Amino acid sequence: MLTFSSLLRALPGNVAQGMIWGIMALGLYVTYKILNFSDLTVDGSFSTGAAVGVMLIINGVPALLAVIIAFLVGCIAGLITGLLHTVLKIAPILSGILTQIALYSINLHILGNKANQAVNVNEYHLLLSLRDTNKSILVALLFAIALMLILYWFFGTELGSAIRATGSNEQMAKAQGININLMKVTALALSNGIVALGGALLAQYQGFADVSVGRGAIVIGLAAIIIGTVVVGANKKEHNFLLLLGSAVIGGVIYYIFIGIVLWLKLPTNDMKLFTAIIVAIFLSLPHLKIKKKEKKDATN
Amino acid sequence: MKKLFLILLACLMLAACGSKNEDGEKTYNVGVLQLVQHAALDSATQGFKDALKDKLGDRVVFDEQNASGDPTNCSIISNQFVANNVDLIFANATPALQAAATATGDIPIVATSVTSFAAALGINDWNGTTGINVTGTSDLAVGALKKQAEQIVELFPEAKKVAIIFSSAEANSVAQAEEIEVYLEELGLQSARYTFSDSNDIAQVAFNACEWADVVFAPTDNAIASYASADQFSKPVIAGEEGICKRIGVATVSLSYYQIGYKAGEMAYDILENGKDPATLPVLEENEMSKMYNAALCEKFNVEVPADYIEVK
Repeated sequence: MLTFSSLLRALPGNVAQGMIWGIMALGLYVTYKILNFSDLTVDGSFSTGAAVGVMLIINGVPALLAVIIAFLVGCIAGLITGLLHTVLKIAPILSGILTQIALYSINLHILGNKANQAVNVNEYHLLLSLRDTNKSILVALLFAIALMLILYWFFGTELGSAIRATGSNEQMAKAQGININLMKVTALALSNGIVALGGALLAQYQGFADVSVGRGAIVIGLAAIIIGTVVVGANKKEHNFLLLLGSAVIGGVIYYIFIGIVLWLKLPTNDMKLFTAIIVAIFLSLPHLKIKKKEKKDATN
Repeated sequence: MKKLFLILLACLMLAACGSKNEDGEKTYNVGVLQLVQHAALDSATQGFKDALKDKLGDRVVFDEQNASGDPTNCSIISNQFVANNVDLIFANATPALQAAATATGDIPIVATSVTSFAAALGINDWNGTTGINVTGTSDLAVGALKKQAEQIVELFPEAKKVAIIFSSAEANSVAQAEEIEVYLEELGLQSARYTFSDSNDIAQVAFNACEWADVVFAPTDNAIASYASADQFSKPVIAGEEGICKRIGVATVSLSYYQIGYKAGEMAYDILENGKDPATLPVLEENEMSKMYNAALCEKFNVEVPADYIEVK
């Protein structure tokens, strides 16, 4: 059963799922890379997006509109983390954790006080589904490109530039008369909106929303960003911003291709998380190992 | 990077070469997808595999995967099963079923440890069959409390007073206490509630309960399941389910996850060998409950175990 062709046949599904997580990683990119803010809200807001999306669809709202509303609800989640941090002066990580914890209960309410809600692909018109992986890749790709273009445009505007300035040097930005609190709140809202959008897409793809679907989302998102950075070689500042954003999506795809390989190799299933961690650790250490190798080469010359 | 990919590619090719095992004519490949490592789900998977092995011998190969508690892993595993073109998927727990049913509309899926197939699959007009490529066994336990009340009389005919011990913070436990009080009264037994809200108080509350009562009843309470220990009870305990019975109880009437898994395995056999259609094969919702006993504690309290009891392991 361990044939190369079965790995290839599984590839479209792995790519589709990776691309959806890549979209989620785009959201994380806004806070993690641009704003320089470790936001743990995403584990909650990803589930929120899934829950909102599914509940709207089963109540007759068109799937595309449901995804957009999920985006807006995600923005509110980010807004709350932003307010906890800027108004109540709670540390970034704690603000995110607090919102994440609160969202667990809120997500249960959204799901009608159930832990799990199905959205059956046979009964509803969904944007994408595991049933049709090729179409899912196309739809996810369209969403990713649209979001990348919007982010590219947005971070070129005055507001977007002010957010970038806040992220790279808070004191300096303040001195320039930028309202840094407003910038942080805006970036957090935008970020969690995109994360929730990713959640709404994933819920349709897998056919259900589960209250624990976002557990560990931050790890997958960060892994996607870091893998993307390593593969595209986007460490250097001179790279095009669009390419940097694209690297996060590519990172998500690569991450899931590797998970597919781990599954395909039929390694002991209880060790799956261990192998996943090893893959991420390898990618995390690659840039460092490369530098070391170069230093060695330079030294011998 | 290039080297890494070359090595990887070489590994893949080697793996591809060593996989020609198409000798037996009717060997079935069954994908086993379990949501999380958990005692009940593990038993169900074991039951499923035992049933198919009993029926098919070595004509069945299992590809066992565990989503390790992460629902999104269920989709990636289902996708792999579909790519491998397995003959049947066994989905253990609700998200596993949902992901598998989304992944394929053709490959038969047999599920278990799912309380409501209608809710899991989003079927509004439920008539006992799914109408799609899915069937299985439910883990719904109906009427367990009534049977547990009767068990108290069966094992301890001399008992007059029953203490019900549970955490007052758990709504589910309060509801169970209310229900079993009615049955105990019908059976002519006196009952009293012994509750705690902090798991540190269990020992004290258990002591008081055992001072007063002849038999203690522990419903399916999470605090009891996690923190109570057998030493805290000087009187025999009847438990609300298998896990608590294993911990502190002499006996229980409980759903056996091994059994529902085994029954799912028999359904899988009917589909694979007898050509039954999962769309019309009714989901098994009425579960027989098994009477179970804890050998060590039965010995401690000198309880004579009737022959129809099975041992909790």
